[in-house]
Amino acid sequence: MATFFEIAIASHPEAYGRQAAAAAFRELDRLEGELSRFIDSSYIARANRLACGESITVSPDVMECLLIAADLTLATHRAFDPAYASERPADLDPELPPFTLDPGAFLLTSRALRLHLDLGAVGKGYALDCLAAVLGEWGITDACLNAGGSSVLALGSDLPELTGWPVGLGAGDAYRTHALHGNSLSGSGIAVQGAHLVDPRTGEAAPRTQGVWALAPTAAQADALSTAFFILSPAEIADLCAQHPAIGAALTRDDGQLELFGALAPGA
Amino acid sequence: MAESPPLSRRDFLSTGAKLGAVIAAAPYVTRGAEVGAAAKADTVNVALIGCGEEGRILANAALNIPGVRFQAVCDIWPYNLTRTERLLKKFNHAAQPFEDYQEMLATVKDLDAVIVATPDFMHHVHTNAALKLGKHVYCEKLMSNTVEGARSMVVAAREAKKLLQIGHQRRSNPRYQHARDKIVREGRLLGRITNITGQWHRAVTEDFGFPNGQGIPEAKLNKYGYANMHEFRNWRWFKKYAGGPVSDLGAHQIDIYNWMLDANPRMCIASGGVDYYKSHEWYDNAFIIYEYATKDGVVRAQYQVLTTTSAGGGYSEYFMGDEGALKISENPKFTKLYREARAPEWEPFVAKGFIAKPDTGEGAPAPVKPWEKPGVKKLGGPSKAATVDVRETAQLSAWDIPVTLDKAIHQPHLENFFDAVRKGTPLNCPGEQAFASAVTVLKVNEAIAAQKMLTFSPSDFVV
Repeated sequence: MATFFEIAIASHPEAYGRQAAAAAFRELDRLEGELSRFIDSSYIARANRLACGESITVSPDVMECLLIAADLTLATHRAFDPAYASERPADLDPELPPFTLDPGAFLLTSRALRLHLDLGAVGKGYALDCLAAVLGEWGITDACLNAGGSSVLALGSDLPELTGWPVGLGAGDAYRTHALHGNSLSGSGIAVQGAHLVDPRTGEAAPRTQGVWALAPTAAQADALSTAFFILSPAEIADLCAQHPAIGAALTRDDGQLELFGALAPGA
Repeated sequence: MAESPPLSRRDFLSTGAKLGAVIAAAPYVTRGAEVGAAAKADTVNVALIGCGEEGRILANAALNIPGVRFQAVCDIWPYNLTRTERLLKKFNHAAQPFEDYQEMLATVKDLDAVIVATPDFMHHVHTNAALKLGKHVYCEKLMSNTVEGARSMVVAAREAKKLLQIGHQRRSNPRYQHARDKIVREGRLLGRITNITGQWHRAVTEDFGFPNGQGIPEAKLNKYGYANMHEFRNWRWFKKYAGGPVSDLGAHQIDIYNWMLDANPRMCIASGGVDYYKSHEWYDNAFIIYEYATKDGVVRAQYQVLTTTSAGGGYSEYFMGDEGALKISENPKFTKLYREARAPEWEPFVAKGFIAKPDTGEGAPAPVKPWEKPGVKKLGGPSKAATVDVRETAQLSAWDIPVTLDKAIHQPHLENFFDAVRKGTPLNCPGEQAFASAVTVLKVNEAIAAQKMLTFSPSDFVV
């Protein structure tokens, strides 16, 4: 995933927590081998080498991650689209995506001359959700998982005096914390990687230049939505948050203050 | 996507992103696509014994192969058994679950083949039982933690006249096959191979644990040969069950030494110890030297396995000859070819498709500097041809292998096994050859304990 992952576990003996975290990190290695486009033998790298009309069988995790990605692509009107850079045949309906999925048969079929799937903006969130599932199997109910400092997922919080795991967003005067509890916060910006975000609908560089954050029930959703929120207009974001009460958004305005939406809005 | 508001209003966020929530995500989702190859391929009925990490990898890889049907799965740990059963069920394989392999073999009558991915000390038990019942067997490496165990497997396969493939999967990797058949043998790009180094460096890892409530009762563990849950989960580190890191990690690569050279070593010297971990029996680091007598001359080969540091670049095998060197790994990013200055030019081998000139990274052409661009006026002075530019020592030229493994890492080796079952394709790692590798590998632990050089005789490698 080309980034760091951290797991903090509370309310369990240290040795048990370490072994649970080790089991989660082994799951991460396995997922990276399936999802990373930089690993030649991964399903995604292989999908990106398919000829138009060719199919491959993918693993259950790859299928699930792609279905979540497809879902979010539709929900964000392609502000998030992990296949936007694909080379499309001239006769492919612009409304159709460059690949199809058959969940029953675990088949991925390319409709592109050259498919270019990049799960960078959903894969690490999906991995966090899977790691949380491993911790769940171990009976861990109080943990905070962090991918690259940009996606954080919290499992409960057993301390009654805390309403959740505190995470920070915003900067300077606008800095604030939010208590995560069974949900995820993800941030996007251009401070670390520079202007790397592109509007998949136009191919142009994203117009926004200040940090954005997305709050969502799962880390895969928060991860993808934070990318989409970098692209979408405030009105579109407000609309999406209104449709889905568990979603929140924070945008940094030009004056450095945060504009808050949905589940991140005051009083939510 | 302008016409998708109904989809975007779906309850896509409230179900924890479960698969069922997105089935309606047209236009992405299609159903009932024809799986032509699967429908036409001959069915091979398979059982898996051992559903741990390795068993899961093999099951996932085998699920990509048309015609392979899992009929049964077996593991003494319900936690692993259930997980694998669930995986197979997703692909519509109704595999019956068993705790006891004997009960499984007695109950499921129509098995063609068995995949064995249990701890090493049980390999010969599970393999031989399946062979005796007329099943072909794919067994994980290392063949056994004892030479006697490995030998019994070769004998059992011979007596049963059934196939025995051992899971040294690099032998079926198309990049390794290309390296051996085209680069080393046909093109002889390395010239005479004189030396090999190889390594697997792995950072410190936690001991394996298990979720609360998932422990196996001690009486049951004892029945199946395990002392307790700690040893059951960390069997690779204990002498009763396994051969330690040189067997778990090194065996893959030392097997490739023998395979590439088409030879077995004549001597082994090694040093190692339990220097770091307090709760393990096996050597956590080892340095080994083998000496091979090949038809081209002596090859001296070094190998090191370290389990307390990831420094020094992961895992690879490095074959060095007087005209070139091949660094190869299951991980393509550790793979490269280097030409010695004295070797004939390699460009003709690019045209033949044996090697490729890198576009990027090591070996790629240096970026053209602005003052080197065509049309830029050069300074006066002697002509270029008459001038020796004095620089630091030149790097060896670096080249790539133009072959990509387009499948899961274990898939080609399983495919080779199922091709052998279906149509008699020769196995890439039959028991006899894997036996020679097991003898080569297991000698290391003996040499460390003996603290002296040990020799092999050619008959040691033959059953």
